[in-house]
Parts: sequence; C-alpha cells; structure tokens
Amino acid sequence: MAVAAAAATLASGPSHQRRAGLGPWFCLTPMLGWLLLFVIVPTLMLLVVSFCERDALGRVIYNFNLQNYIRAFDWMWLKILGISVWYALLTTVICLVLGYPVAYFIGRSNERVRGLLIMLVMIPFWTSFLIRTYAWISILSQDGLLNAALMGARLTSAPIGFMYTPFAVVLGLVYNFLPFMILPIYTSVEKLDGSLIEAAYDLGARPARVFGQVILPLTQPGIAAGILLVFVPAIAMFAITTLMGGGTNPTIGEVIQNQFTKARNQPFGAALGVLLLIIFIFSLWLSTKFRRSEEE
Amino acid sequence: MKKQTNILISAACAGALLLAGCGKKDDMLNLFCWTEYIPQTVIDKFTKETGIKVAVENYSSNEEMLAKLLAGGGDYDLIQPSEYTVEAMIKEDLLQPLDHAKIPNLENLAPEFRNMPFDPGNKYSVPWMAGFVGIVYNAETVTTPIVGYNDVFTPAHAGRIVILDDPREIVSWGLATAGIPINDVTDENLAKITPMLRDWISKVKVFDSDSPKTSLSNGDTDIGVVWSGEGAILFNENPKFQWVLPAEGFHMFVDSLAVPKNARNQDLAEQFINFILRPDISKMISAEFPYFNPNAAARALLTDAERNNPASYPPGLDVTKAQIFRDIGGQGSKIDELITSLKVR
Repeated sequence: MAVAAAAATLASGPSHQRRAGLGPWFCLTPMLGWLLLFVIVPTLMLLVVSFCERDALGRVIYNFNLQNYIRAFDWMWLKILGISVWYALLTTVICLVLGYPVAYFIGRSNERVRGLLIMLVMIPFWTSFLIRTYAWISILSQDGLLNAALMGARLTSAPIGFMYTPFAVVLGLVYNFLPFMILPIYTSVEKLDGSLIEAAYDLGARPARVFGQVILPLTQPGIAAGILLVFVPAIAMFAITTLMGGGTNPTIGEVIQNQFTKARNQPFGAALGVLLLIIFIFSLWLSTKFRRSEEE
Repeated sequence: MKKQTNILISAACAGALLLAGCGKKDDMLNLFCWTEYIPQTVIDKFTKETGIKVAVENYSSNEEMLAKLLAGGGDYDLIQPSEYTVEAMIKEDLLQPLDHAKIPNLENLAPEFRNMPFDPGNKYSVPWMAGFVGIVYNAETVTTPIVGYNDVFTPAHAGRIVILDDPREIVSWGLATAGIPINDVTDENLAKITPMLRDWISKVKVFDSDSPKTSLSNGDTDIGVVWSGEGAILFNENPKFQWVLPAEGFHMFVDSLAVPKNARNQDLAEQFINFILRPDISKMISAEFPYFNPNAAARALLTDAERNNPASYPPGLDVTKAQIFRDIGGQGSKIDELITSLKVR
C-alpha cells in the first residue's frame, strides 16, 4: 500500500521525468556562461567591493569592514531611496492603468490588425531612449512645442514650467516603460479563452464581474510580469531622471552612478547597489508569492 | 580523425593570427575627453592628414575620468584633465612626462600658460582651453543689476536658476562669498558655508554640467552660474544673454591634454597635441567652443566678434591674477556628500 502510494507520487511528481543527459546541459552552456560571466561574477565583485575602503583618488583598498553599510542607513540615503521607490511605484501604477486597456484591445482584435498594433507599440524601440528623452525636452520646455500649442490655443497666457519637475520625471518614466507593461499583458490576453468569457455571460455575470472574476485572474501572470518589468528598472533609472528632473531631488540610480564616477567612491556605491539588489530580490519574492497564492 | 585535428589546428592558428592582428593598434589614438570640447572637424582633419584613426570616449567631470582611468576600464592614450586633477595625477605618478622635442608647436602657447603652478614648464600637460566660471543671465527677464553670487540666489530668481552639477565648483562659490580662499576646503569652512549653500541650492531649478546653456536657451531658466564657453555660445546665439564675472571672486580653469602612465601610443598622443597647437587648428576649436584660448598664435587669427565676446575674453582681465583650483585630496568625497544632502528636499 505504501509502495503504491510512493509509486503514485513518483508518477505524478517531477522526479519521475527521465533524467537529463549531457545534451541539454550542453545546449544551456552559452546561457549559463553568460549568466556566470555577466551576472554572477559582477554581483560577487559588487558584494566584495561594498565591504572595502577607498583612497583619496578613489582606488579600492581591500580593507574589509561594515562602514559603507552603516553609512547607507543614514536618513539622507534612505530618503533618496524612498523618493526613487515612490517614483517607480507611481510609474508602475500609471503604466498598468494605461497599458492594460491597450493590451486588452490589441489582444482581442483580429489577427491581422494585431500584428500591426504590436508593431506600433514596438516602434519607439527603434530609436535610442536617450534621443526620445531629448525629444521630450524640446516638447516640454518653456519655449517648446507644448507651450506654443497651449498659448496658440489661448488655453494659457504664460508658458507653463513642465520641465525639471516631478511631473516631467514620471512622464519620462511612463513613456519609456509603457511598452514593457503592454507586451506581457498582451501575451496573457492573447491566450485568453473566449469561451470562458462567454460562459460567464451565459451564467448571468455582468461585465464588471466577468472582468473581475474571469478576465483579471486569467491575465494575472501578464500583469505580474509587467509590474516587475516596469517597477524594477524604474527604481534604478538615472538617465531619464537626471535629464527630465534637472538633478534636484536625486534618485538612488543617480546617486549610485555618481558614487562610481564623480564622487569616486566605488565601495559606497557598491553598498548602495547591494541594498538595491536586496529590494529587487524581495519584490521578486513578493510577486512569486502573490502569484502562488492566486493559483491556490 | 587526423583530418579533423588538422582542421582544428588551422582554425586555432587563424584565431591566433586574428588576435595578434587585433592587438596591433599602432594606428589608433584612444582619446578620453570632455563632452562638447573637441570638435569632430578637428579629429577628422587629424585623421585625414596623418592617417591616424581616433577613438573618442567622453566624460563629464574630472572625477569621472579619474574613476574610469583608475578602474583600468580602457586603454587611453590621451586624456583631458583640469588643473587640479593634473596636479593630483602628477603627485600620484599617473602621468607620463611629455617629449617636448616632438611638440615644437608648444611655442605657440602664451607665456602665462607655459609655467602654471600645477605643472611648471608643461612637463606633463599642455593647456587645451582655459576659461572661467561666471554668471550668465537673460537681460530680458532679469532686470535687477547682477554683480555677484548673492545677486543670483535671491528669492526673485528662485526656481529660475541653472548651475553646474559640480560640488567642487558650488563649494568654491560659497567660499568666495564668505571671503575664504577657494582652496581652503576644510571641515570648519564647509560648516561655515553650509547654511548659505542650503539656501542657494533650494532655489536652483536645474543642475547641469554638460550643457547648462540648454535650459537657458529653452527659456526654462533665466540666470545661471556656468562655464564661460557656455556663456559665450549663448551670447553668440542672442546678445540678451549677459556675462558677469562674480565680484566675490572667481577662478580660472585650465583644461589640459596629458598622457596617462602606461599609455600604449604616447607617440600618437604627442602628434595630436602638436597638431592642436597649430594656430589654424586651434582657431577651429575656438570657433566651436569659444573658451579662453591659451594659444597666443591662434588668438591672433580670431575674428573681432570672437575676440570681443565678453564671456570668452573678459575685458580688462589679467589672467595671471586669476585664482586656480588646487588639489584638495580626500576632501572631494566629503563635498560630494554635502552637496548631495543639500539637494534632497
């Protein structure tokens, strides 16, 4: 009896699968090598340097201690981190609210139009995001296109200062990250089984209920992926925040970049980087946990 | 099997040859320089005349350049450090002495640039451009008289100011205003000027070292403390942009060309230095980046408009009396943290 039960678990469990030979490992080698070389080794280097000191010119001195981490928990750096997380959260929420309907519409449209629409979402990627950000500067600046249009339409008498404000920063972030929200949600919507929605309507559900109890849960993996793809890079983004925000109220990405360049303090920059990494790992863990509890 | 081995061996040989070919970089000059400072036309002309290809990489502060150089990220043959960085690098034995026999055009430099205190006798460095940090303002929107730093950071200008994103600069303005020599960056002096700097920074709209002229010419700011070359470009664009050297005191920067220790192609670097010291080439540089040209022979070739630009060549200025930045050692990271903390609102 016990043996039968064990056999049953074996049969259903993953351990029953045929043991992989060397072939798959060989195929994975390029990816594993890439991960090792460009993810694992640099992360370890970052970790080691974060416990070191530096000399007057900024060279790393391998004298291990915790001072960088003690310094990182100063109120000032935590506040900078807080501002960055807030910008990233705001960006993620706006991208979700704007991106979901777009993704849904594209995913439910007929197949010929779909390819075209997805292409339209991707087109901005053909130009460097820095150039697109500079384009926003010429749109939003005081003598820029938007103010000229507003004043031409007599909607405002004096130009409005859009640039170098939190508004400009969040706009720049949303603009750049929106496709990363649309694409994963789109793939979930595309796989959506239309008969399930029809069944819900047949059983008398109203549109709001169909959306909340059928469509949303089914597209939830796409939403989770979109949130991660937007939130994580948005925290660390520095180019857009510097260009659009004017360098006031620095974000954590700007501060870390600064430590590695202008401030010549790699160990402290590394410590801030490690703390950021811990936040990323935490949010990844949170999202997988969220997904798992949804599935149950 | 034997055939396979042969193929392998020949492939390995081909690879080795290819690698050897790549390693031979005799005809390539690796230039590591400031953004917006070396005209592409000058680089192209150099390549055309000498056949030497130039690879350019940019930085936007001395500190950034040093960080990358010391991290060993690239093989640079020629760098463009400012005076205080030249001094620090000489101290740390990071620069290669120049062979003056290969740079005969050195004689074109004005005498006051031949013997600067940070590098007497140009042993390690050759001035590229000099300049000042001063005040530029839009005379159409700023109607009060502007004389010094205190006239910039007034409540009337709050939210309309652009300044360089450079802690060393910002601190030096504060020191000058407090009547302290700009190189006395001690902890007590920093403590003394911190309340003033906090007030100043709270009024700033944009921090930008790369192109501070952008927000001024776009109308997003009215007044700024910027590089003189940026002020000169704005003046050329529209004479409403006026230039003022701050009454409290200002400093002259001397950006130089130097060869880092262990550079692979010192010879090419010296050829480039000699090339840009030619009056006709130096004039091209001045035309695009109107800073104070240390090349006396080139200055003689400038147009009247160029020479009379008040930001490039402030009238009545005695260059030999201008203050310059000296190396402040490890205080650099302290002032960086100070300015960062003041930026957080």
